[in-house]
Amino acid sequence: MMNRTQQPSISQVKEIQFIAPEIKKLNGTIPVYLMRDVQNETSRLDLYFDAGKNSGPKGISSFVNGLLLSGTPNRSSVEINGNIDDLGGFYQSGVSMENAVVSMYALREFLPEIMQGLIDALQNVHFDESETREYLADTKQRHLQSLGKVSYLSQREFQKHLFQSNTLYASVMELEDVENVLRQDLIDFHQKHYLNGLQKVVIVGNFQDVVIDQMLSLLQDFSGKNNSVKDKNIIHNKGRFHVSKDRAIQTAVRIGRILFNKKHKDYLDFLVLNTILGDYFGSRLMSNIREEKGYTYGIGSMVNEFQNTGYFMIGTEVKKEVSADTIKEIKYELNRLQKELVSDEELNLVKNYLLGQLLKSADGPYAMIDLYLSAEMQEKDLEHYNDAIKAVREITPKRIQELAQLYLNWEDLTIVTAG
Amino acid sequence: MIQFEKFTLENGLRVIFHKEELSPMAVVNTLYDVGARDEDENKTGFAHLFEHLMFGGSVNIAEFDTPLQQAGGENNAFTSNDITNYYDVVPLENIETALWLESDRMLSLAFTPKSLEIQRSVVIEEFKQRYLNQPYGDVWLQLRPLAYQVHPYKWATIGKEISHIEDATMEDVKGFFRKHYNPSNAILCIAGNFDLDGVKKIVNKWYGDIPPGKKYHRTLPQEPQQNEFREKTIEREVPTDAFYYAFKMCSRTHEDFYATDLISDILGRDKSARLYVKLKKEKQLVSSINAFIMGSLDNGLLVLSGKLNEGVSFGELDEALWLELDRLREKEIEIKELNKLLNKVRTSKEFEEQGMLNRAMALCYFELLGDASLINSESDKYVSITPKKLRSVAQQVIRKENCSLLKIKATL
Repeated sequence: MMNRTQQPSISQVKEIQFIAPEIKKLNGTIPVYLMRDVQNETSRLDLYFDAGKNSGPKGISSFVNGLLLSGTPNRSSVEINGNIDDLGGFYQSGVSMENAVVSMYALREFLPEIMQGLIDALQNVHFDESETREYLADTKQRHLQSLGKVSYLSQREFQKHLFQSNTLYASVMELEDVENVLRQDLIDFHQKHYLNGLQKVVIVGNFQDVVIDQMLSLLQDFSGKNNSVKDKNIIHNKGRFHVSKDRAIQTAVRIGRILFNKKHKDYLDFLVLNTILGDYFGSRLMSNIREEKGYTYGIGSMVNEFQNTGYFMIGTEVKKEVSADTIKEIKYELNRLQKELVSDEELNLVKNYLLGQLLKSADGPYAMIDLYLSAEMQEKDLEHYNDAIKAVREITPKRIQELAQLYLNWEDLTIVTAG
Repeated sequence: MIQFEKFTLENGLRVIFHKEELSPMAVVNTLYDVGARDEDENKTGFAHLFEHLMFGGSVNIAEFDTPLQQAGGENNAFTSNDITNYYDVVPLENIETALWLESDRMLSLAFTPKSLEIQRSVVIEEFKQRYLNQPYGDVWLQLRPLAYQVHPYKWATIGKEISHIEDATMEDVKGFFRKHYNPSNAILCIAGNFDLDGVKKIVNKWYGDIPPGKKYHRTLPQEPQQNEFREKTIEREVPTDAFYYAFKMCSRTHEDFYATDLISDILGRDKSARLYVKLKKEKQLVSSINAFIMGSLDNGLLVLSGKLNEGVSFGELDEALWLELDRLREKEIEIKELNKLLNKVRTSKEFEEQGMLNRAMALCYFELLGDASLINSESDKYVSITPKKLRSVAQQVIRKENCSLLKIKATL
């Protein structure tokens, strides 16, 4: 009879194979990253533009992004989408704080042809009036709908206070932005931040050289000369803020501060601290607020990174009646990390977990390229991940406590509730 | 082509092994053949509440997550109206920890009153977060009982109402486990860089001595054919009027399933789909419109849903919508349009199968449908569909007396 009470022996992850993409240059300056070791017929194209929220005020970055396939003088939006769909392509685009990304997922055999139509659409979009009107009306509807969510309300308020020293970073879309947008502003933004703002190209898929060259030649008219300023010194607004919403049965909570990114010497060690606090299922916040008290379906903490800075945030939605107690418990958990050393047992568990997750995040070409890009964005290379393995292995309870004392002081935080 | 091997243990556990040489990770996926459709009408939300309790510790192990995290792994689970699925992704060398944990909770759970109390509150908060405290969040709580009058699909996985979750007792929970959680009611898939003999050995080691349990034989009340158009309007504090047309369709294993799936693609999969082009781009009646099917194991639903533009009435929409639906019923689709649909189906399948976890989950699911090898023959089924077949299935499904319509009137 075997002993079921004893966990089978385990081994800690020792080394991870990180695979770098091939790097080329487009038009002499724009980096192109190629990941060709793909075992099946899938492929993906990403175009990164200097068209993030930080490159324009009052929602313009998201309006232009949303209108990229809205038609050229020669082709309507229906034709453009039809051409992509005929060949089975899936288009995706989005705006983040410091860039905008346009992606196409397709079978390898079709991507070059889809890309022809896609680039034509991106290059020649003319912001047709009725398309723009329709898009803005839809945006208004979606916005009004989102205002019904406490998570959206709290996130907006949090962003305003977190990035308050930089109006571009802090701005959130308001209804009047949708109503006041001018066609010429859209045209100018597109000209500057898309046609002259191509920052990098990523191609994943088992393509031959000649096909890659052919695909890249479609991009020869783009330049990357615009590169908006990426803020280094954002200062957040500390304190307690509330957005009220009638008849909400849950309260959304966001707590955080401006912190740092991969470039900072404390970054890797802080990730271990963050994991202990709130970034895995067995974390202290989950154990306390979900598994001990049953206040919420989920609670977590994270570090979000920009090119020159980053921020730390705790987020949850809890039963309305216990929102004050939840905040008290979060404070208690931060305090505990500052006052008590983490046990070796808990730290060891988190180390093993993190190494396993790092192994997983390097599994397969799509995961690998995303891991690479996340380092590359902050002028790091794959060595960063070997440093991470080392940091995780070596970190001590004492060091965790020091970091908690340095970075998790209650009075340094922005605390937002909505409900 | 996805390679796999199958074997069955003496206690009835069906096992699939999928070899993947390139990944440093292993997947252990366990599908239990139980979902919200197997619940008592007065005790709904149980299959899902139970899924939460499966993490509260088993007969020999105090807690599920900690040892798995210790082994560098992660796990999660989901419950649908048909199945409950649990998965673990761990570094290859540590697969035995996952098998140890999964087999122990198949053997027997260690329920504590505290764990029941806590998970009850967690699920109630989940109910609020996803269904009650969201604009349009309760649509499925309303639409299901309109479309289904007899079949247990009339309630959602989360449950009919919060009180059912509040009232769950320890006895209920234990009874549910005995009835549904045993080897003869489960399908296990192991994926990773192993060999078949090695997999047989470790699976036998951990699962071989679990008693087979009593096989559960499902006898669910089947929904009678719908013969009348149903309609319901509710008022909600939302900014925009919304509509949900739900047509009865066949089950996942019926031969018409694939054609019905393509019909939903024709109507509303993407921005060149018929309803999007006609009702949104040309007539400007809606701000969004989609079509999708519920791939359920018993007879399912094909749903057309969307939101009205300001100033447009439900009546105007209805008229324009039926014009398009009639066109689909009357005229065969052109080959060019059919090819587009097939390209989309191929692309999504290829991307889904890119991930080892997805492959493991799909293999278990297809085995439940009858045979894991369906994973490799599905594409042919789509390719063999003719325009004529599509039209005839459209005529069968897209009928007014086969439709339930939920309208949400905005009061904001």
